[in-house]
Amino acid sequence: MSTMKQSNEAAVQVTGLSKNYGSVQALRGVNLSIGAGEYFVLLGPSGGGKTTLLRLLGGFIRPSGGQILLHGRDVSEQPPNHRPTSMVFQSFALFPHMTVAQNVGYGLRLRKMPKREISERVDAMLEQIGLAALAERMPHALSGGQQQRVQLGRSLVLEADILLLDEPLAALDAKLRKEMCLELKHLQEQVGITFVHVTHNQEEAMTVADNLAIIADGELVETGDARTLYENPIRRFTADFIGENNMFHGRVVEVNGPLAEVDLDFAKLAVDTRGQAAKVGDRAAVSIRSELVWILSPGEEPADALQTMPATYGEAVYLGLATSHVSRLANGDTIVARQISRDEISNAFSAGTGITLAWPRREMRLHLS
Amino acid sequence: MGDSYSNIWSYRLTWLYTLLVVFTLMLPVFYVIYISFNQNGFGARDYVFTLDWYGDIFSDLLLLNALGNTLILAAITTVVAVPMGLVAAKFYKTTRAKLFTVSLLLSPLFVPSDILGSALLVFFKNLNIACVSIGDWLGVGWFDDWFVLGYFSALIGLIIYTLPYIFVVILITMGRYHEQQSEAARSCGATAWQAFRQVEFPQIRAGVFSACAFTVILTFNEYTRTSLLKGGYDTVTSVLISQMLNEGMSEQSYAMSSLVSFIAIAVIGGTILYTLIRSEGLGREARAKALPVMSS
Repeated sequence: MSTMKQSNEAAVQVTGLSKNYGSVQALRGVNLSIGAGEYFVLLGPSGGGKTTLLRLLGGFIRPSGGQILLHGRDVSEQPPNHRPTSMVFQSFALFPHMTVAQNVGYGLRLRKMPKREISERVDAMLEQIGLAALAERMPHALSGGQQQRVQLGRSLVLEADILLLDEPLAALDAKLRKEMCLELKHLQEQVGITFVHVTHNQEEAMTVADNLAIIADGELVETGDARTLYENPIRRFTADFIGENNMFHGRVVEVNGPLAEVDLDFAKLAVDTRGQAAKVGDRAAVSIRSELVWILSPGEEPADALQTMPATYGEAVYLGLATSHVSRLANGDTIVARQISRDEISNAFSAGTGITLAWPRREMRLHLS
Repeated sequence: MGDSYSNIWSYRLTWLYTLLVVFTLMLPVFYVIYISFNQNGFGARDYVFTLDWYGDIFSDLLLLNALGNTLILAAITTVVAVPMGLVAAKFYKTTRAKLFTVSLLLSPLFVPSDILGSALLVFFKNLNIACVSIGDWLGVGWFDDWFVLGYFSALIGLIIYTLPYIFVVILITMGRYHEQQSEAARSCGATAWQAFRQVEFPQIRAGVFSACAFTVILTFNEYTRTSLLKGGYDTVTSVLISQMLNEGMSEQSYAMSSLVSFIAIAVIGGTILYTLIRSEGLGREARAKALPVMSS
């Protein structure tokens, strides 16, 4: 699917980018490349620096160090109106004293475009974002979703090369956010320009993104497409942040070809290093996705390909589609087995029962950083 | 009007009380207006209605000059101080040193007018002496009278006096403004000035105009600082007060005071009416535009 978006040209090329506020480092030496025509998401916890990065791209703040190239041109010292970017904000960014049509046409009027052409382009854009009937309304008479569509229209009508979206759906309710996610994705496919979208919402990120960057504590943690980051994260933080993973902490005690043995004190796990340079004595984490863990039936013999671990059953948390079975390991850590809800499992165990958990060995992932 | 359970009479009494307070406060003004139409002037037993005193204003050069001076001071103070207050309010919104900025800007409010006035008086006198001495020493005279008391010194005093009020009035309307709108404008290609002129200013216009009106009223009202710093010029207030202190106000002064009150009431009342009608109209327009789509 996303292969059709492959492009050699980088729309955004960021090197060693940092931003300090006094002694606070909001962003530290970030290197990032975003291909032209990509839908790129900056995902991370609040206060992690992703909005800072987006605002640096848009020219709303000046970098403390590093360089920003947009389509090969160094814009590090350029103000927003001299950059090939346009921005969509979280909320309150429509001009309240202008109608929907005037909002959408604002940038075209700044370009001194002939009136007739402005109104043609505005009409076409309103048609595209499905707001043709509301052209003469004032922003305060629109719903949250409509307001965000107007913002999109106001930016897209300018045909800028790069659209920056700062938590554009955060102010919307969950259902509307889901709908708008797909709308955004389809819109981006239609217009074909580069979208850089900031969010802290994992589902939103995975819905829209061709590629994602995880940003936390002012650093770029990891980049990749949604499937890679979900199924095959390298960094410990990514495994912790994306999806729902069980995490074991220990030390590497033996390296044997592609396998590293990690001692957790109460158990030893042999894990594929996936090319990471593991050394004996390294602190390491091993993660396994909770949906791959299940509880062995009493008396069931595990297959060779399975890793097993004894635990004490805690409780079942019913979440509709899935049920999370929370248990306790020998060292007191919790471990979650997430399974499609079925009565016979949900009611099979009572708190305090000794159980055996199992998961495929090859699905375990080693994290050294 | 309160919640649905509140007593309608307590509501009406509250209004009655408010009106009574306002009326009591305005009573002296009404009395001055009343006297200004009396042929026999202040304190006379017989009341004969006349407009003569109003005609006499225009032959009273002392008053006319004073009015002219006051208007010039008010105009220049407004033109200089309102943009300063606007810039200060914008700075306040972006700076991280908010406490320091607000303390600095509001400090003139906490200095009694006579102290600030006399401090400036001493300051200007010394500055003047310094200018003259340096001029003598250099053998030139063109900056000798830069700091002689007059319009310039009075203006400085008035700007210091009005700036805190302007700052606060503008800041209140600016508080409702969302900075993202300026950023959105910038990202649509606007320069910083275009973003301010086309997006921010239309939304804080009411505050800026209120600040202008307030500045004019404060300038008319101010006596201590102005009279200490104005040098030989007369202003409306200084004329009225000197008349009061000496032979008592002349009849045309009552007429002038009434005239100023009329204009002030008309301007402020007109502004309030215009705002009410306009916001009502805008609301109706917005609803009208919203309705057809809602019903579909």
